[in-house]
Amino acid sequence: MTALAIFAALGPLGGPAAAIAGARARLAGLAQAAGAAVALGCALALLVLLDGHAPLAGWDGFLYVDSLGGFFLMTVAAVTLLAALGSIGYVAAQEDSGELSGFQVRLYFTFFGLFASLMLAALETGNLGLLFVLVEASTLASAALVGLEGRARSLEAAWKYVIISSLGVTIALAGTLFLFYSGSALHLGSNLGLTWPYLLEHAQALAPQPLRLAFLLAVVGYGTKVGLAPMHTWLPDAHAEAPSPASAMLSAALLNTGMYAIIRFLAIAQARLGHTYPRAVLLSFGFASIVIGALFMVRRGNFKRLFAYSSVEHMGIIAVALGFGGTLGLYGALLQTLNHALAKAVLFLSSGDVSLRYQTREAGQVSGLLTAVPVTGGALLLASFAALGSPPFGLFLSELTIVRAGFAHGSPVFPLLLLALLGLAFVAFARTTAGMVTGSPPAQLASPYRGRAAVAVTAAPLVLGLAALLVLGLWIPAGLDTVLRHSVGVIG
Amino acid sequence: MQSLSQTSTAGVLLDLSGVLILLLAFACLASKLFNRYVVYYGAQSVVLSFAAGTAAVAFHSAELWILAALTLAVKGIAIPVAARRLLITRLALKRDAAMSTGLSTSLIAGGALTAFAYLVTRPALLPHGTVASAVVPLSTAVILLGSLSMVVRRHTVAQLIGWLIVENGVFLGAITLVATFPFIVEAGIFLDIVAGVLIMVVFVSGLTRQLAEASAAELRELRG
Repeated sequence: MTALAIFAALGPLGGPAAAIAGARARLAGLAQAAGAAVALGCALALLVLLDGHAPLAGWDGFLYVDSLGGFFLMTVAAVTLLAALGSIGYVAAQEDSGELSGFQVRLYFTFFGLFASLMLAALETGNLGLLFVLVEASTLASAALVGLEGRARSLEAAWKYVIISSLGVTIALAGTLFLFYSGSALHLGSNLGLTWPYLLEHAQALAPQPLRLAFLLAVVGYGTKVGLAPMHTWLPDAHAEAPSPASAMLSAALLNTGMYAIIRFLAIAQARLGHTYPRAVLLSFGFASIVIGALFMVRRGNFKRLFAYSSVEHMGIIAVALGFGGTLGLYGALLQTLNHALAKAVLFLSSGDVSLRYQTREAGQVSGLLTAVPVTGGALLLASFAALGSPPFGLFLSELTIVRAGFAHGSPVFPLLLLALLGLAFVAFARTTAGMVTGSPPAQLASPYRGRAAVAVTAAPLVLGLAALLVLGLWIPAGLDTVLRHSVGVIG
Repeated sequence: MQSLSQTSTAGVLLDLSGVLILLLAFACLASKLFNRYVVYYGAQSVVLSFAAGTAAVAFHSAELWILAALTLAVKGIAIPVAARRLLITRLALKRDAAMSTGLSTSLIAGGALTAFAYLVTRPALLPHGTVASAVVPLSTAVILLGSLSMVVRRHTVAQLIGWLIVENGVFLGAITLVATFPFIVEAGIFLDIVAGVLIMVVFVSGLTRQLAEASAAELRELRG
């Protein structure tokens, strides 16, 4: 099992290896996709092996994978696979048109694989210090992707991203310090004392006051990476400026990794402090994010920014679900994580195809997608509806679960507010995307791809992602249900 | 975990270092010259290194000795020298004009943040009479001041220095609060690497010329 965990984290390095060896975009992209497929396979195998058994732990707690970690591993690996498939066509088209030099292409795949690998490794460690290091390292790797195109705007977005996230993660380090301090009574001295399972087991011995501060700092710090308002300001810029498959990775993988760190702190905080305080913190940040996300979606403009604000909104929904708590709330939060990751990956990948064909990222200049490019247009339309929580897609089910959890936890004000905000988000989002897919397309649209294979490989991740979303909306496989239940049990 | 009393020699020295570090953070906030930012940051790192050495003696900790040596070598010497050679001299940076508030406003805000730091960390959180109860409010204030200077300054180099000051604040808190924190050296080395990478990035990409040197808060394209 240890070998599986190692291969899961190292798998995505296939792309960087090919890129450094000098492969061009198509070959490097295929290597990247193969590596991501290995990672996904290992993550799934780990989940199967973990079912009902003790978590995988080793190396003084530096390696620790339980159902919750396995679930996030699977989500991130799946997104990596979709984004890697999307990269093949996108980057090859940009290479052919001369927008990216050969050097930039190699940089892209080097940092793409590194970024994925670091996130997967962060999900596999039980050591909170190493978690901090890996999350910050993934910031650097992904900032290189954001600034890849080298224009003034993308450099500015990359700088904004790296400096705000670094500050956030440093604050998360301060939170980790306070968490460690709250365990003074345990006389922690070794690396084992800094591991998550150890602290959870001994949660009753933690001092409550420092623990409160530690939890708050962790939510603010890692929340910066998650994009919770008001720490979300880097997010729309970074998502808009990154190459589209990299935006998919940011939105669907990176944000989830940050949320995973928050969930780990939440479990410890809940075990010692009860539900009231963590709930108050998470509901505040969650609702702030939903409000900000929904309001900024009203503005029409760059469609990638629209999707980015939708990510802010969805991360807010997940935070609110964690705040509602209870089996129902936690279950909903995890299901929402997976569904949102799939929907956002499809949205960003289709936005990549749109921006290649129309040579613009402004929603106002795009029309007639369904007529001009039926597959991408259809995927964009369906994924939009999925992201907005309409049936029959997975997000309908998870958002319904979250609202139910809200009603179960007492005051009906919060779930009603959530429903109202979801309605607002629906209108704001659909207003823009509906305009993009309908109408008549501009007269001449050249295909940016060479050959049918490139077109097919661009469509593949869209179809795969949508199919998964549809399945999750109609039926939750028994295996996934078990994993989710175990994970909920881990959080408590 | 052992805790130092506030009146022991080491306690007094740590307290004094904490005050100096806070004052240097204020000095940096009050300055407008790039040279000074780097000098104040370097001095602050030297004081932090001294504090880490004091804590190493008091706690008999080999790890803290390593941290003290690293802090002196990397943050006290290497980063300031690199920042000066690569960024300030090469890019001919002199006066920082890219600020969103005046100096007096940011100093008043800094004072308020310091008071806030005492307000949140003092009561109930830290046992009375230990050195942590004296130094942790100071380190919290340094973190907040560093963040403040990142917020009010728009120049990439100034933001970078602000982040480095935040980092100093975190480590000041770490050595007094949790001297046995097992990951402290690794985290320190890693953050030094990040700082080095960021300096190189600013240098190589010429990011300063692209966005901030024109000092244009107005030119910023990415809004909303």
